[in-house]
Amino acid sequence: MVTHYGIKYTVNLITTHFGDLVAKVCECLLRKGPLTLRVIVRFTELTSSQVKNSLLVLIQHNCVQAFILEQSGDDGDGAKLNTQYIALFNNIIHRWRFPKFLTIVSQKLDKQCVELLEALLLHGRLTLKQMTDPAKSGQNEGNSFIIPWDDLILDAVLEAFIKLLNAHFIERCPASEPVLRKPTEEASARRRGPKSAKILKEKETLEQRVLEAAAPSKALRFLLVTQTEPADGGKDESNSSSMTPGEKRKHDALESESECGATDEQVVLWRANFEELIRRLRHKFCTENVKAHLDDGAIIVLGAMLEATRSAEKKVKTENSVPLSLNSIYEKVIKNEEGRNITFDRLRASLVQLSCPPFVKAVNESYSIDFKKIIELAQNEEVESIVLKRYGRDAYRMFRLLSNTDCLLETDKIADATFVEKKDTPKILFKLWKDDYLHMEKLQLTGVRQSQFLLWRVNKDTLREHVLDEMFHAALNLSQRVAYELEQEKELLNIPQDKRVNRLRKVRLLWESSQMKLDDAIMLFHDF
Amino acid sequence: MSRLQGPNSLKRKRPGSTSDSLTEHERTVHDVIQSKQDMGMSQRDMKREINLPDNLVTKCLKSLLSKNLIKEVKNIQSRGRKHFISVEFEPSTEITGGAWYVEGSLDTEYINVLKEQCWRKIYGLKVATLEGVTDAIKRSNVSQVELSKQQIEEIVKALVLDNEVMEVKSSGTGEFASIPVGKVCYKCIGKRGYGGEPKVGALASIPCGVCPQISHCTPDGIISPKTCVYYQKWLDF
Repeated sequence: MVTHYGIKYTVNLITTHFGDLVAKVCECLLRKGPLTLRVIVRFTELTSSQVKNSLLVLIQHNCVQAFILEQSGDDGDGAKLNTQYIALFNNIIHRWRFPKFLTIVSQKLDKQCVELLEALLLHGRLTLKQMTDPAKSGQNEGNSFIIPWDDLILDAVLEAFIKLLNAHFIERCPASEPVLRKPTEEASARRRGPKSAKILKEKETLEQRVLEAAAPSKALRFLLVTQTEPADGGKDESNSSSMTPGEKRKHDALESESECGATDEQVVLWRANFEELIRRLRHKFCTENVKAHLDDGAIIVLGAMLEATRSAEKKVKTENSVPLSLNSIYEKVIKNEEGRNITFDRLRASLVQLSCPPFVKAVNESYSIDFKKIIELAQNEEVESIVLKRYGRDAYRMFRLLSNTDCLLETDKIADATFVEKKDTPKILFKLWKDDYLHMEKLQLTGVRQSQFLLWRVNKDTLREHVLDEMFHAALNLSQRVAYELEQEKELLNIPQDKRVNRLRKVRLLWESSQMKLDDAIMLFHDF
Repeated sequence: MSRLQGPNSLKRKRPGSTSDSLTEHERTVHDVIQSKQDMGMSQRDMKREINLPDNLVTKCLKSLLSKNLIKEVKNIQSRGRKHFISVEFEPSTEITGGAWYVEGSLDTEYINVLKEQCWRKIYGLKVATLEGVTDAIKRSNVSQVELSKQQIEEIVKALVLDNEVMEVKSSGTGEFASIPVGKVCYKCIGKRGYGGEPKVGALASIPCGVCPQISHCTPDGIISPKTCVYYQKWLDF
């Protein structure tokens, strides 16, 4: 969902990280959709060179993807190929989450892996050679990409790289300019539908098509192929520890992708795999959310189920985990140190606990995690918290009634169910409606006397988008206020310095913790 | 706390003075009020239906009241206006507001006491059906008037809306072992006591989340993060 304040927020982020010029180009793409270089120059009124450099920066940092859209040529001169650029909203907002990604990796892998990932996040994308060759690459040519690990040997870096690759925390970068063929007549006919839905679907479809076309094949995405030179000087190819037997044809495919004689080290670019990192954050979120409701035994069981089914998830927003039998879950639970003492009966009891609220579903003696339910409950709690704080307890009850009922309810019915005075109820409902938290319909009855009834409901999809936009707005406000506070501090020279420094430190701490917490909520509504 | 009314039936009581001593106008007014049965009517409604001058209607109403043929009741829809009903009827819940209203106002104190008591019964039972809560409330003599199962259900559902209690279906196993499978029952939520605030969400924990003006807030507008008084207070260390 790209909302109004979502765009402002991401532009602010790009400005902070890369400056105004790059931000201008990024904003142009976010607002206008995919564009060619020529059109970007026209809209931004920057020079071609400025736009090119900005695009290079954005592509380097995975915020923009180039692609070629095949179009029918004029005058029958064959298909025209134009390079266009599309902004990747999701990847841009991931930039706020780098500390969270590093925390995830630090909990699973060692310090060197964390440092290597940090380098990749900092620089967007690197070749293996750039990561592992500080002596040759950086210092002499003035373009060092490696953080100063003076005492880190080559093998240790390579080992860290392979660990990150095997855990899928890093991946091959996508193709630089994939070609999108024109959709066939059949595909167009399949997509026919109401106009607005068609436009939205077409927008989504284009970005999805671009990303799919650019993505490396499944076989190559997490594959590292290295080339070693034997003593006689001839070239010999060998596989890394990542290569499994029977992957010769994949190796051939790699050869066709890379330049003649070049290896992964030299040409293949690697980057952080946001998909896996977000998946881990999603799982972490689910565990912590369930922790607030249930005991430690249930959390251990849930953790074991997540671990067992993670690799089978095909996409981040998976609704249900792969079903597991009781025995499979038990085997996984007792493998962990925390779960070693859990008995089979305790496991059963924990699964019953997890079914209420329905975090885990049981079907025919198989159990699967209901991610959709966990996320939905968390989203409801977040919105209800806003309603409670902003509009009060009566509004909170009314909102929960309408949210749980999921249908139109008349004003008096709402008053009766929530124990609010009938004369006060319409005022509260109108306030919620005015701020787009409720949907309202009027029902006119004609008869002996004309009566008008007001009916209310919560429209969850619209509300979700609205709340997400408010979150982006709030995140932007937080950044702007902190920047303002920093400016003000410089002018308050009449206050003793230690007091100023102390206050600034508190402001900064509060801002960072609030920003992180708010970003968790943004992920809840946008990424999970 | 004895303000609970009986079931909403159209009870007919023995009328007061006979209608023989009524004037023609008084009879007209009485008849039209009686025709509305348990809904009654206000003086303004009467004006629409009978073509009599205001002062005459007022005089008739005073007379009918003194003769105990009509009575005045509070209408929750228009508390400022007088509402009249024939004495033989009990006012409908549309007029009175129902069992939870007294003198046209919601009996908030009584409702809150009942809510807390129901919560305590559910907490004590760990998992409770509606029948279980109803029996427990009856045995405890919390209320001077007898509460029906439907009334207890309204209170328990209000606890669900307050997020103090959750509604679940029995699985027939574990803590639900004594409850038939599929039966609706209630459990207290989480580890907090009665009346505890639910966890504050991320957006609600910063000034923007509770701000009623967020839709008017813009970066360089009159209402902006730089000029915001809520932020000023929040950052006032």
